Amino acid sequence: MPRTSVVESPGCPPLRALTTDILGLIKVVEARTKPAGVAKVVETWGAPDAPRAVLAASLADRAVDPVLAVARKNGVVELLNPLNGETLAGVNAAAGRAAPADSSAEEDPLATLHLFRRHALDSSMLGTFLACTEKGKAYVKSVAKENASSDMAVGPSSSWDVSNSGTVQFSSVDAGESYAMFGGKGIEVNLWDITSCSKIWSAKSPRGNSLQIFTAPWFTAGTFLCKDDHRKIVACTNNHQVRLYDTASQRRPVISVDFRESPIKAVAEDPNGHAVYIGTGRGDLASFDMRTGII
Amino acid sequence: MAKERKRRQPADAPPPGDDDEGRDHRREKKPRKERPDPVLPSQIKNKDKRKEVHAKLKREKKAQKRKLARERGQAAQRAVELGEQPPEKLVPRTIENTREPDETVCRPDDQELFAGNDADEFNAVLKQQTTPKVLITTCRFNSGRGPAFIEELMQVIPNSCYVKRGTYELKKIVEYANNRDFTSLVVVHTNRREPDALLIINLPAGPTAHFKLSKLILRKDIKNHGNPTSHKPELVLNNFTTRLGHRVGRMIQSLFPQEPNFRGRRVVTFHNQRDYIFFRHHRYIFEMKENKIASKDKKAKTSESKSQPEKQVICRLQECGPRFTLKLLTLQHGTFDTKNGEYEWVHKMYHQICCHTKVVIIQLPWDYTSLFLPFSPSKNLSLLAPCSSRLL
Repeated sequence: MPRTSVVESPGCPPLRALTTDILGLIKVVEARTKPAGVAKVVETWGAPDAPRAVLAASLADRAVDPVLAVARKNGVVELLNPLNGETLAGVNAAAGRAAPADSSAEEDPLATLHLFRRHALDSSMLGTFLACTEKGKAYVKSVAKENASSDMAVGPSSSWDVSNSGTVQFSSVDAGESYAMFGGKGIEVNLWDITSCSKIWSAKSPRGNSLQIFTAPWFTAGTFLCKDDHRKIVACTNNHQVRLYDTASQRRPVISVDFRESPIKAVAEDPNGHAVYIGTGRGDLASFDMRTGII
Repeated sequence: MAKERKRRQPADAPPPGDDDEGRDHRREKKPRKERPDPVLPSQIKNKDKRKEVHAKLKREKKAQKRKLARERGQAAQRAVELGEQPPEKLVPRTIENTREPDETVCRPDDQELFAGNDADEFNAVLKQQTTPKVLITTCRFNSGRGPAFIEELMQVIPNSCYVKRGTYELKKIVEYANNRDFTSLVVVHTNRREPDALLIINLPAGPTAHFKLSKLILRKDIKNHGNPTSHKPELVLNNFTTRLGHRVGRMIQSLFPQEPNFRGRRVVTFHNQRDYIFFRHHRYIFEMKENKIASKDKKAKTSESKSQPEKQVICRLQECGPRFTLKLLTLQHGTFDTKNGEYEWVHKMYHQICCHTKVVIIQLPWDYTSLFLPFSPSKNLSLLAPCSSRLL
């Protein structure tokens, strides 16, 4: 099954998508205007290898040195050139976990990955990424251009614990790349400052209904709504709900909208700053205006 | 008669001129007689006359068709006598050969497909690392033909056992089956005393296929039915060609053991056509075709087999039952979870309405069946023709 998809707009074809799958392959899908927008796979990178299945992917789409990062099942984060699929570096994310020696990459796989878009001040750095495992270990690591094939290439890194229980299922970083959002099964949405590694906000469960029945939190997707405002976030739950939070005012959702009957698996914000697009487990797509909650 | 006369008088009045009156009348009569011939039968208002004209037209059409067929036959015979090449045989247009091929049809040289097969959930069973072990259960309220169907299903699938459902939830049953090392869980859903759904859950981590079950005929309702033996059956999978069909085919394959007992001459057929999977269970035997003299000897119970210049091997089938039809409704990722689960494929109505020439599980000629068969294709190719002749 396709795991994740990153869409890149510039270039000759009007649509160019990099898709990853459970076999560890990365496929380039392009749609051109001549055959009336028919999308097809034009390139396949990598060899089919099930232990190297892709769990998460992130693309730093910038004019100078664009980098694609993929997190594989064996705990390795690879940096590739998104133009030709050339492998630039490979970092073992488990290298920094010296304290829990008994855990392995199979028991605690990587759940989320984000490659920072901003260019580092030091031009010798290839890229910096934020990765989080299912049990809540978060890492921020940098990779240098020189000695890219060895683990000694890892630059200054930091790590912290997102949560002590539950399973992390998603994370998101705002446009300014200073704050990160995490959520998952049994984990409320929480906001972290990446620079100081501290939690600055955490969501609260909605009030119970008339029977005082609370639902356990199970967040499956989330994103920051505006580019210039990191305080408005949208989180989607497994109970097919789209919730809008305002971290400046309160800890409960401002707007909560139900959508059909399937868990919401993916969410993406619109560049205009007040609409989101969601995808469900049954394959439905919808667009929500978060100012009014209308589809 | 008087009314008719009165009506005719005004018709005669309009033509002018007394001398030409008779001639005009005659001229008018002749075109009227000629007109009914090219007129369509549906324009005739009298039912009896309309019926006659229609029957006459149909007779003429049939005669013309028969004449054309006879001419084609004579032309073929003439060509054979003269030693020439016979004229090209016309291929009729059917739903099957006018179907557009789906873009997800598996190709024989797809390395990614083979790598996907090595990595999927059925690999342990199909590589014979694990013996298939099937748990069969029912829905909560089970009566009618359900128990009889389950009894016959247990005879079809080797190494399967039936456990009463009781009041357990399906998630608990999945845990129970996982703890006891079952490889598959089959739930027969009964509605109004009739089995109407089949849920196949591959263990330990899915996927889950939900089929609609229809046209169930039990063994006792099949004439001249045979009783199955305990040999491990051979498996025939027809037309599981697309990626979805390939996945469903591998799931069905993982229910049966991977080393069939050929001595038992027992075969289970899953034939896929237009998104329906037809299940049949047969016992077969290969025989030498005998001529009249041999048949006379057969009547006399003579065991001698005479050598004849023309020998032909035919395959005779005896149906053991049950007989039913499946249709895939959903294919879910992971074990059974309708609320939180993620679906790989969901049957939606517009698949059939908008593109009636496209179906999701596409069919191709027999050459592709070697991709899905667990044993040698040469053995099965002789089986395919008699089975398909029965099914189609």
